[in-house]
Amino acid sequence: MSATTVFSAKKIITMNPARPHVSHVAVRDGKVFATGTLEEIARWGDYTLDETFADKIIMPGLIEGHCHLMAGGIWKYSYVGYQDRVDPDGKSWPGVKTLENVHARLKEAETKLGPDEPLVAWGFDPIFLMDRRLDRNDLDAVSKSRPIAVVHSNFHLMTVNSTALSLANYVADMGVDGIALGADGTPNGELQEMAAMFPIMRRLGINLRELGRTRASIVAFGKVCNRVGVTTAADLINDLPDEDVDEMQDITAAADYPIRLLSLLNGLAQPADETRTRALELKPKSTDKLRLGSVKIVTDGSIQGFTARIRWPHHYNGAPNGIWNIVPEQLNTLVSILHDAGIQMHIHTNGDEAIEAALEALEIAKTKNNRPDILHVLQHCQMADRAQFRKMKKLGVAANLFSNHIFYFGDKHYELTIGPDRALRMDACQSAIDYDVPFTIHSDAPVTPMAPLFTAWCAVNRLTESGRVLGEYEKISVAEALQAITLGAAATLQMDHEVGSIEVGKWADFAILDDDPETIGAENLKNVGIWGTVLAGDKHEIR
Amino acid sequence: MNQRDKPLPMTVLSGFLGAGKTTLVNHLLRHSAGQKIMVLVNDFGELPIDQDLIEAENGDVITLANGCACCSMGGDLYKAFSTALDFTPPPDQLLIEASGVAEPKRIANFAKAEPDLTLNGIVTVIDALNFEEMQSDPRVSDVIKAQISAAHLLLVNKIDRASERQRAEVEAKVREINATAPLVAIANGALASEIFFGPKITPDELPMIDAAHLSHEMQFDRWSYRTEEKIDAEMLRNMLRSLPPSVLRLKGIFCRTDKPGVWTVHKVGSHVDIGPVSRAFNPADTSEFVAIGMQNTNLSQFLDKAFSNLK
Repeated sequence: MSATTVFSAKKIITMNPARPHVSHVAVRDGKVFATGTLEEIARWGDYTLDETFADKIIMPGLIEGHCHLMAGGIWKYSYVGYQDRVDPDGKSWPGVKTLENVHARLKEAETKLGPDEPLVAWGFDPIFLMDRRLDRNDLDAVSKSRPIAVVHSNFHLMTVNSTALSLANYVADMGVDGIALGADGTPNGELQEMAAMFPIMRRLGINLRELGRTRASIVAFGKVCNRVGVTTAADLINDLPDEDVDEMQDITAAADYPIRLLSLLNGLAQPADETRTRALELKPKSTDKLRLGSVKIVTDGSIQGFTARIRWPHHYNGAPNGIWNIVPEQLNTLVSILHDAGIQMHIHTNGDEAIEAALEALEIAKTKNNRPDILHVLQHCQMADRAQFRKMKKLGVAANLFSNHIFYFGDKHYELTIGPDRALRMDACQSAIDYDVPFTIHSDAPVTPMAPLFTAWCAVNRLTESGRVLGEYEKISVAEALQAITLGAAATLQMDHEVGSIEVGKWADFAILDDDPETIGAENLKNVGIWGTVLAGDKHEIR
Repeated sequence: MNQRDKPLPMTVLSGFLGAGKTTLVNHLLRHSAGQKIMVLVNDFGELPIDQDLIEAENGDVITLANGCACCSMGGDLYKAFSTALDFTPPPDQLLIEASGVAEPKRIANFAKAEPDLTLNGIVTVIDALNFEEMQSDPRVSDVIKAQISAAHLLLVNKIDRASERQRAEVEAKVREINATAPLVAIANGALASEIFFGPKITPDELPMIDAAHLSHEMQFDRWSYRTEEKIDAEMLRNMLRSLPPSVLRLKGIFCRTDKPGVWTVHKVGSHVDIGPVSRAFNPADTSEFVAIGMQNTNLSQFLDKAFSNLK
């Protein structure tokens, strides 16, 4: 007979309504064997009592339903963001609060580089350093000989020094959208969007997609998750060639790899029938710790980049409507083909016009062939109105809402992108609850930092960076937010029978907390301390 | 990263679903006239190459017997452009077949920014038969508008199946959006590669005046011009911009009044690009220009006049 370990805790939050709080949980064969008092559990037979968590709070392992493996690999570069961050190896990176801080951080990073290496940094956010924009002169002060590129936190912009500019021949006004000019009419070092950034990235060897594929990145990604109490995470887009799948199987199989990883196939990298074939081929390659077989479809762009597809009256500042990545008519075909084959789809939709197109495609597919066994998910789903939530309910579609946006971009949405009416209802968790739409909330790391308890804090408080409440009505309770980052996320990943609550028969995946999220107070939810996690009964303390 | 000795000309082919981009690409590959064309397909539909043209498939890249190649972009622009720029043997022309919803201006920006690329124009195909219907879908009408307004060369396709009235209506609608780009009616996606990519002209090989070459293209006239005099580049640029849309494409190599060396110019629609040639000036160099225009538009007359006025 297998051994039983019993963990005691100050409090165990189970997310099982029949038994919401207990003092002990028993684990056998990596699964939850029993919950309750020690006395109740003892009647099952022999056990070993583990009191490591006697003064901790245990809750179900947190689940990040939308992020990217690059969240691990990006730490290869120096961090120059405004918020304090901890890298996968536990090193603290205090936020840079002034341009002088940026200079000091880059100077320090430069001392560690070889003579021919470019200096690359990431996470910079000009929104927080309002006095003036970072420009090439700031970076020239760091080095005039070494090319320097500072990638902004949204990955759509970068600022480079004069050495990097001249590598790409950006010496005069070339009339290219995206190469920003200074007062003297020459490029000031800021580059916007891929076309303008590509020549620099190519010459400095900055390949962000490749970054996520490396072994080091996948390992680091596991550490990023561990640090924030996450035991299951979904990598939301991947080309998943065979060699990458083999490597992911290998890495995740290791006992010290602390998470269950889902990786979604890019549904727009090949014709629809090839996507179907590949997804069906990938599904059986799944293991206990690696899940494959679902597909990601990207329909529009981002709201902050003015590339989301939004309905009338369009952008608040009059900017033209955003971009489609797929013709709505083609989306109808693709969705029907995948749906008929029983393949789960995660459809990226930021703007309400994209949400409408996705729902129309799902309606067509589901009217022909209901398939109640599959739960499709609208990812981001930021601008959905209440009618669209009602439609999601009717169609049996789930939502993964981008609550971190409220804090990071909420002010910009209110003032610039979509205006008050639609900003106040964005990432509408309460509407999802009102219409009983299964939902979770996410970070899209590394776009915003992964930390489900922070994301929960955003959904509960709806505070923007400047302190504005972005829509009182759409606030949800702490209990509802905790549900969203556990069972809610599990449902969107079609894993709610395996993870998301501490219940008999489910995986013994726990988040181990220093503080009690149920009593710490809504405003402090983001400050809950984290000891680490337990995955299938094995302890993974943050290192 | 490969260093190219001269930039790779990049042409963006845009147009909504069903307009005939794929047929045109296959036509161009079949009649590549010895040029190695690299096609990047920014769509996830079938790779658009006719089966009989394909020599080999290697991962994401299809190679053709005539030295052309085709590669799917798969949403990863970084990888796609790196592949094209590092491809061996180096292609002579890069053709981006944009997706039906792509805004060609965004793609064209890659060629404007990357020193190893030069923009050879945005060509937009319009479906004469269902343009009106597509335009009436509010979800995509702005995209179609953007494709037309960004074009340097407009092709109204399926003209053989359109009625006179249809043709006139479509042309009028298109002209409301873009009044300056040359507009050519085509059938079955057939267009001479010289018009699509521009007349062949290399700094080491003066433009060949080969009237016979285009003789089967009844709608077009050719013109060429040679002068010993140096040319003021800004005057040239302004003059080229003011030419009527009946001039489809114009290319040339020339010597400048203000700067040493040899320079190239090419014009398609409102897009005029002047750049240096990376070779030393030869005292025997003259300035040479060649253009293709619509027939019966007095092409030679007004081009001769415009060029002689440059002095």
